Amino acid sequence: MAQPRVVFPNKVLPYLLLAPQIALTLVFFFWPASQALYQSALREDAFGLKTSFVGLANFRAVFDDPSYLNAMQVTAVFSLATAALSMCVALVLATSAERIVRGKTFFRTLLIWPYAVAPAVAGMLWLFMFNPAMGSFAYMLRRAGYDWDPLLNGDQAMVLVVVAASWKQISYNFLFFVAGLQAIPKSLIEAAAIDGARGAKRFWTVVFPLLAPTSFFLLVVNTVYAFFDTFGIIHAVTGGGPAKATETLVYKVYNDGFVNLNFGSSAAQSVILMVIVIGLTAIQFRYVDRRVHYG
Amino acid sequence: MAGIVLSDVKKVYPGGVEAVRGISLDIEDGELLVLVGPSGCGKSTLLRMIAGLESISAGEISIGGRVVNELDPADRDIAMVFQNYALYPHMTVRQNLEYGLKNRGTPRAEIDRRVAEAARALEIGPLLDRKPRQLSGGQRQRVAMGRAIVREPAAYLFDEPLSNLDAKLRVQMRIEIRRLQRAFATTSVYVTHDQLEAMTLADTLVVLNGGRIEQRGTPIDLYEKPETVFVAGFIGSPGMNLLSAASTGAGLSVANGIDVTASLPLDGAGTIGVRPEDFVLARTGEAVTGLTAATTVTAVELVGAESYVHGAIDGGGDLVYRIPGRTKLNAGERLTVAAPASALHVFDREGRRVRTGY
Ligand SMILES: Nc1ncnc2c1ncn2[C@@H]1O[C@H](COP(=O)(O)OP(=O)(O)O)[C@@H](O)[C@H]1O
Ligand SMILES: [Mg+2]
Repeated sequence: MAQPRVVFPNKVLPYLLLAPQIALTLVFFFWPASQALYQSALREDAFGLKTSFVGLANFRAVFDDPSYLNAMQVTAVFSLATAALSMCVALVLATSAERIVRGKTFFRTLLIWPYAVAPAVAGMLWLFMFNPAMGSFAYMLRRAGYDWDPLLNGDQAMVLVVVAASWKQISYNFLFFVAGLQAIPKSLIEAAAIDGARGAKRFWTVVFPLLAPTSFFLLVVNTVYAFFDTFGIIHAVTGGGPAKATETLVYKVYNDGFVNLNFGSSAAQSVILMVIVIGLTAIQFRYVDRRVHYG
Repeated sequence: MAGIVLSDVKKVYPGGVEAVRGISLDIEDGELLVLVGPSGCGKSTLLRMIAGLESISAGEISIGGRVVNELDPADRDIAMVFQNYALYPHMTVRQNLEYGLKNRGTPRAEIDRRVAEAARALEIGPLLDRKPRQLSGGQRQRVAMGRAIVREPAAYLFDEPLSNLDAKLRVQMRIEIRRLQRAFATTSVYVTHDQLEAMTLADTLVVLNGGRIEQRGTPIDLYEKPETVFVAGFIGSPGMNLLSAASTGAGLSVANGIDVTASLPLDGAGTIGVRPEDFVLARTGEAVTGLTAATTVTAVELVGAESYVHGAIDGGGDLVYRIPGRTKLNAGERLTVAAPASALHVFDREGRRVRTGY
């Protein structure tokens, strides 16, 4: 659709107004990104005395490394599980919030709070609750006869970080699902009621399909979140362990670079991540911006 | 068979709005009843109570002899056509038509038969595999009708189904709805704020005002014998001229410039009503028993075969009257018009009829 172009009479002011944003992007994105790109083609000797240009060797090494492939698999499992869990819980909460008559706003406000909690703090919260040594929930689980030890059992560690990461994201998804539900014309629901569709049937045949655009949008956003925004949670809860069972791609960049001081490999990994982000963003722009529109 | 009976139905919305204040109606089997009234008079509320989409605060509604107050919309055996059509956007036209039948466990062969029949009646066969967004407004309207028809319900309920269409299509669809309703002989309640639509569609017309029935009757009844000033002003376009009058010892006094020579049964203050088409141009020197008005032309609306003239009455106020379309008239001209005594409607102080014209 043709939209009227906004024309600024002042030629300088627009650039001045944009300057802070441009400066921030330059300093915090382009500069480190170019550094990473540069570093990814270098190799440093063990004592940090000499660096040499090695071309794509770092990338080759990364893709040959079984622990990198492990990290990819962990990331895939972690992201999908986090997106699925947080979206399902949010959808259930949003549909029940629709049905509440009294205290709707109160209920919604409460549900939005977790989103304001910093990832590391959220991680600590869940860690405290489920720490095998001191966590109250861990105690209850063991009392119930369940062998709970995320410090030793990789699957349990994965469950713990997935739950912690999902918990934070539920609020966000909840808001979008509530908005999505409100955007469904009331007359459609009424038509379905007259057409003899009740309860679960009405939900799955009318409501859920109409939420498809929202769900798709959230799927992309949640995947991006689980990929890149969960470092704090993993760092606080498992530190990538046990035995790399929860080491995601982002966590491995940190581990290889800042802990193992393998800058070349770490930089190569960041470049790969950068490509993934660009890919996901492209998907988001392509499909989400011109949503699956009904009407 | 499947008539609809409302007895003393009331609706109070949470928050205290009394939308419907005690309505009793008897809608016969196969009849098309039109509820008409200004916006906010409670038409939709009443219709939605029949459909089961709003709870009933008081009174009783029965469809086909069965009290439906506590029944779900699905169990009332009704179909509804919404103003915005409410087609399921993610389903094809065929799926839209089938949905209500599938939910009721209708056998496949029966579904196919009914969809084919509805598609033929509405000429939407070629559209069956399209999605609603690929249809024009008029086509969506047909599909919405089709969804009601395939259900073969005891009653159709329409809530302003044509108000989203352009004027020409509206007239077409109005005729179509009338034809289909006759063909399927299904009891129907049709809500509209458009009095012309109401007049042309209705077997029985019910005028609502402020949650109450002003008058119920055939369209021509309401046109010729309005019970109240409200109905007189609402039905007809342009509306009836309503002039405040008072009876004095010497006869009737209306505004300056208006002469009433008929003896009218008005006691105290009241209103005299004259339809625009009941006026004729008065020739000088000719005495009329009825009402004459001296006016100054302010505007002429030519609608084709006829024109409606807006004239300022000498003593203040406006009068609208019909003249043949080819009469040449200019603003500012003086014109005296007259209406015979038989065309005068008289309403008392409360706005109730004391005498009809004709
Ligand atoms: N859900 C509602 N809650 C409260 N008041 C309502 C609601 N729906 C309608 N009303 C009020 O009831 C009156 C009748 O509304 P409605 O039946 O929609 O009128 P109509 O269809 O004749 O225009 C209006 O005053 C409207 O404001
Ligand atoms: Mg309405």
